[in-house]
Order: sequence, then structure tokens, then C-alpha cells
Amino acid sequence: MLARVANNLFWMGRYIERAEHTARFMNVNYFSSLDAPNQLSQSRQFVLQSIMSMVGDDIEDKTKIKEEDVFYNIGLNAEKHYSIIQCVKFARENANSSRDMISTEFYESINKFYHYVMNYPKDIFVRSGLHEFTTNVTEHAAILRGKIRGTLLHDEIYALIMLGINIERATQIIRIVKTKFEDAQKATGGYENPIENSYEWTTLLKCCESYDMNRRYYKKPPTQMTVLEFLILNPNCPRSVINSLNQIFYHITILDNLEFRDKTSAAFLIGKMRSEYQFKTVEEIQKSVDKFIKKTLDKLVLISDQLEKEYFYH
Amino acid sequence: MKLNDSNPIFSSYQNNTSLYDEIFDQDKNVRPTYKKIIELYSGHSINDFVSLNEKAKASFFNQGITFQVYSEEKAQEKIFPFDLFPRIIEAKEWNTIEKGVIQRSKALNEFLWDIYHEKSIIKDGIIPMDLISSSVNYLRQMIDLDPPGGVYNHISGTDLIKHSDGKYYVLEDNIRCPSGVSYVICNRNALKRALFGVFNHYEIHSVTNYAENLLDIMESVKPKGVDVPNCVVITPGIYNSAYYEHSYLAKTLGIELVEGRDLFVEKDFVYMKTISGPEKVDVIYRRIDDTFLDPLEFREDSAIGIPGLFAAYKRGNVSIVNAPGTGVADDKAIYTYMPEIIKYYLNEKPILNNVQTYHCSRKDDLKYVLENIGKLVVKPVDEAGGYGISIGNRLTKNEIESVKKVILENPRKYIAQPIMSLSVHATYIDESQSFEQRHVDLRTFTLLGAGKAFVLKGGLTRVALKKGNLIVNSSQGGGSKDTWVLKK
Repeated sequence: MLARVANNLFWMGRYIERAEHTARFMNVNYFSSLDAPNQLSQSRQFVLQSIMSMVGDDIEDKTKIKEEDVFYNIGLNAEKHYSIIQCVKFARENANSSRDMISTEFYESINKFYHYVMNYPKDIFVRSGLHEFTTNVTEHAAILRGKIRGTLLHDEIYALIMLGINIERATQIIRIVKTKFEDAQKATGGYENPIENSYEWTTLLKCCESYDMNRRYYKKPPTQMTVLEFLILNPNCPRSVINSLNQIFYHITILDNLEFRDKTSAAFLIGKMRSEYQFKTVEEIQKSVDKFIKKTLDKLVLISDQLEKEYFYH
Repeated sequence: MKLNDSNPIFSSYQNNTSLYDEIFDQDKNVRPTYKKIIELYSGHSINDFVSLNEKAKASFFNQGITFQVYSEEKAQEKIFPFDLFPRIIEAKEWNTIEKGVIQRSKALNEFLWDIYHEKSIIKDGIIPMDLISSSVNYLRQMIDLDPPGGVYNHISGTDLIKHSDGKYYVLEDNIRCPSGVSYVICNRNALKRALFGVFNHYEIHSVTNYAENLLDIMESVKPKGVDVPNCVVITPGIYNSAYYEHSYLAKTLGIELVEGRDLFVEKDFVYMKTISGPEKVDVIYRRIDDTFLDPLEFREDSAIGIPGLFAAYKRGNVSIVNAPGTGVADDKAIYTYMPEIIKYYLNEKPILNNVQTYHCSRKDDLKYVLENIGKLVVKPVDEAGGYGISIGNRLTKNEIESVKKVILENPRKYIAQPIMSLSVHATYIDESQSFEQRHVDLRTFTLLGAGKAFVLKGGLTRVALKKGNLIVNSSQGGGSKDTWVLKK
């Protein structure tokens, strides 16, 4: 497979996943704040800041954040690199560049997704379309994943797309954890032990579509500890970091079976990180959540860079 | 069966009997081939067609079967309009077309070999030397170079029309990078989805075997010493107007779609950059114009070519499909000599008619053209896509004068032909929500390999959607029809 096309497929996977997480985060955060149990987490400014911080756009003057601007920037502003519309555009452009490699069915779905986002009216979106638009974005992304799994050959092409999807998923999950962890530190009150039992943990789980399963697994209201354990270390939770790492490891071995045990190779780095997280405990993470988050993000960036070096620039 | 009795969908069909209508004869009777389909279509209301047409459009759009149009303010993604009424060609008629286009392709191939080698056709005084030497498409780099398998024009797109006398005439032989074949297959799929019922009543040839034959042809011209050749399609990139077709071909051929930047040349061999290192490339189906192929040999400013490709080609280490330099033979000035070319190389009579052509570089012809410009179509010899054409009876006096001036400035650049009346076909028109007469032509696709020839049994029927318009190119607002070749 061409190195350029490999790069396209990898990033297509990343952008599809990114669009979905951004949409879901915006949706869940906004709607759950409407009836949140304490003053701060109910305040518009608080939730808008949280949304901006998740996409990595930290605004200096936080008193001037306007709801419509935040919605527009993150949803449909093609000038913002983090906007959903931009992610979808990039995803489709990458699909275009590798169109001969992917199935007609999958291409048709990504094309429909693109036209849906491109044609969504801006004024409706910022006034009343938030729920409809973001829900449809997550649905389209789910359809795409289904088409990827169901209509492509499970070979190197599939492995590269899955690498993109899972690296992005692990990254986004950690970013969401980071944002909500910071929110929880700020928004206290409402329960006996403010941080440990914060309402933000529920929101966090819902942002990752993992609330119901968390309740089923622990049979108790979510706490900081159970949420971190679930979203980072539970291999059966499809959104957990370790689940993504398992996927990443599985798919990198299709490209590189580690026969030569090259210590600097992407496959080796991935294997090492996966083994470490496989036997990590939530207590270790809780010692310093900030540091853990930063280290995880750094490692994921390193892996992505190594993949680029090894596979995309021959 | 007659036009207008008991078929509501044709109730407003204006049958201009001065034109050759493919469906109705002079007395408004349905031609035998179309009887069944007219009967079936009459069972539908016009509302059915309105909704089918909408669905077909949406389907093309969603599948991304689109092309870019640049002439307007910004690039726009457009679908190639597809018509719900198929064009039907009888088996006997098709046989003649098929033999005729193969004959032309073979003759052109011999001609190309000759003008890049011995030049005997010039020495024998059949074609004037300056016609070749003045052609910008004659590549000196190709002189005395033997393309693998001895084939230049592996892929030819021949444009035919049916004149008011009911006979086919060839308008053009496109042997550079003819496009449109992907639409042949898409049109068939779209019509099957929309009106599957009609297919049960006709026995028609499939059009899905193009890719396998093309791959066969490509492999037949592999470089010497290669067992299983590595074939690729090269595209200028995703912003090219025909990118859909490039990706479609690569996908159906099952080979890589590369861009110039994916390839490099080392020691006169061509390689592509893959995730596991360089991989040798043997046959390149290029969808890039000659002059952009290699910045070291042709245009220095080409950013889409591969430096060193031509040197590798010269060494015989890679095949290029179609060969560089074929453009000299699809020059409209050479077209004039097609009957002579066929006779000279194949010693055969031309099977398909050529349109009488006046060559502005010849004194007598130029005189005739200037005197009769109102009755002629004037075309530049080296433009494609319907650009630069003027149709005599559509011009004002002032325009006629300016066309004359343009011709006189560079007579070599122009030819003129009598205004041919393209046949018309019932075509669904969006604005009036009814079927109307529209002009159509036919592009066939011929493949030529080492000892092999193949014609796709179908071809692309292009239709000029604007009323009265004779230019069918997609860049000028043309659409297309599914084209059926009957088995019996």
C-alpha cells in the first residue's frame, strides 16, 4: 500500500472519531448542565468554558463567551481547525484520496455524512439544532464504523483505519476525562463528599456513552474512583483507554509482527504502553490524576509520531 | 404504434421530423427496437418519472459520482446528469460500429509507429510533412522509440453521431486520455435500480467486463523480462475533474491509484513509495497529459509528474498507457486523412464514415471555408471538451467576421465541417417535467493490446440537454444515457 494512502486512511479514521467525540461532548455537557445540582455547574459560562477547553481553545476573557459563538465555532465554523465541520471535511478528503482502496458502500456513507454537515443551516444550529445535529453526527460516525467493519477487507488497510480510530478514541477519552476532572474540582457542593461524588462524573460517563454500563457493572452511583477505573482500566468497556490500547496493539501487529523486536518501533512502543496499562490500578492513578493524564497524552502523541515516521514517509 | 396515442408520457413530445429521431420514424411510428420499452414506459405516469429522476440524482450525488466545474466563480461539485430513457443499438448496427472502431484504432496505431519511425506515409506523399511537424502534439522525444508491445493507443474513445441520413459518422478519435467509461457502468447501474422491470424484456450485453479487459491489455504490454507486471493508474489528484473515474478504474482494476509524488525513479526504474518501502512499477495507465508526465523531459513546471519517468520509458523499463505522443494522431487535422490512413496501412475500405472536412491550411479549402462559413462548423484542431467551436448558422454577422479573422491568423489551427445534424432521442427534461427531443452522440471505448483488441459493448451516449444545442460535452451542460447493445 502507498505510504501516502496509508497516511490518508489513518487520518480519516482519526477525524471520523474526533467528530463524534466532539459532538457527543458538546451535546451531553450542555444538556446535562441544564438541571445540574449546583449553581456553578448550571451556569452557562461554566459549561461553555468546559466545552471550549475540551477542544483545546482556551479563551482568555472568560466572561465574554457567547453561547451562539461557542456552538458555531465548534459545530460549523470551517475556520476553526477543531470544528466538527472541519473534521468531517478532512475525513472525506482523506477518503477521497484513498477512494480506490475503500468500498463503494463506505464511501457513499461518508459522502452522505459530509453533505449532511455541509448543508446544515448555521442559524438553525445555533438556535435550536444542537441536539439534532450532534446526535446525527454521532449516528453517522457509528454507521461509518459499521461500514468499515462490515464492507472492507480486514487487511492492512483496515488495520490502519483502526489504528487511527483507536488512537483518536484513547486521546479523546483522556481529554474528556481531563476536562471533566477539572470541572469536578471546580464544581463542588450538592453531595457529602464533593469531589469524589461530583455530578460531573455522571456527565463524564455520559460523554463517553458509558453511563448505563457503568451502573450495571458497579450497581452504585458513579464516583471518581469507579469512573476512572471504568474509563481507563476496564478492558471490557469499549470506550476505555485499555480497550483502545488492546485494539491498537492488535492492529499494529498486522503491519509489524515484532519479529525483529526493534525497540524504537511503533509496535514496540505500543506493546510496552499496553502492558503497563494492563496491570495498572486505579489507586495508582488517583495518586496524581493530572500527572497520569498528561503522561498518557504524551505517550499517545509519541506513538502517533512514530507511526508517521515508520509508515507514512517512505 | 404511433406517437401520442395512448402514451401519456409523450403527450407533449414535439416531434420535429426534420431531425433523425432514434425512437420515432418520419411518420411518427415507433421504431421496432423501441416498441417494447415505449409500451412499458407508457404504463408509468409522468409523476413516476419525476420521482425516479429525483431519486437517480440523489443516488449519484450520494455516491460522489460527480465532477468539478471550474468556469464559474468557484469549483463546484456537480453530478453528470443521467437520463432515464436508454439508447438502444441493434446487434447488426453495433457489429458495424465495433468493426469500424477497431479498424480505426489499428490504423492509427500503425500510423503512429510510422510517423515516429520510417515516416513512409509522408515519403509516399499521402500526408504532408508540415502537418506533422507543425503539430504541438508530435513529440520529438518519441522518435525511434519502440513502445512495449508496439502499441501506442491502447485506449481509444471514438465519438460517433448518427446523421439525418440514418448513418453513423465518426466525429473524432480521442486517443490521448479519453474519459467517460466509468459513467457507462454507473448509468447502467442507475437505470437498473430505477427501472429494473424493463431489463427483462431485452437481451442486452453487459458492460461490466471493461476493467478485466483493460487489465489484460495493460499486462499484454508489460516491459521485457517482467513476469507478473505491477500495474498502476496515475491521477493528477483529487481535485481533477475526472478524479471519480480515476479512482473507479483503479478500484475495479484492483490496482493502486497513484499520484506523481508517490512515484520516483532510480537507475531508470520506477518505484512507488509503499508502507513497506519502494515497490517496482511496470505498467502505468496515465491520466496525466503528455507534457506533465516528466518535468525533466517536458514541462519543467509540472508538479504532478515524475522526474526521470521518460528516461525509464526510453530504456524499456516501464510501459506508459497510452504512449506519450499519441496526441498527434487525434489532432482534428489528421482526422481528415483517416480514409487514406486506413487504406495505406490496412489496405481496407473505411467501415465507418468520416465527415467531409475542410482543412484551413489548404488554399482551396480555406477559400471555401471563408466563403461558406455560415454553413460550417469551425473547430480548432487541438482543443478538447467542446471548447472553441463555432457553429455557422448560430453566428451573427459580426461573429462571422471575427471567426474569419481568427482563422486567417492561424489557418493550421482550424478545420471546418458541414453542420452535421446529430440524431435526437427522447430525453426527460427537468424544467418541463416531460420527455423532449434532444441531440445525442455516442462515444465508444476500444482497447488495443499486443495481439488483442476489445470494444466495450455499450459506450456512452451523451445528450445535449439544452434545447437545440449540438454540443454534448459534460463541461458544456451535457448529460448521458445508458446505452444498450442488443444481443440479437
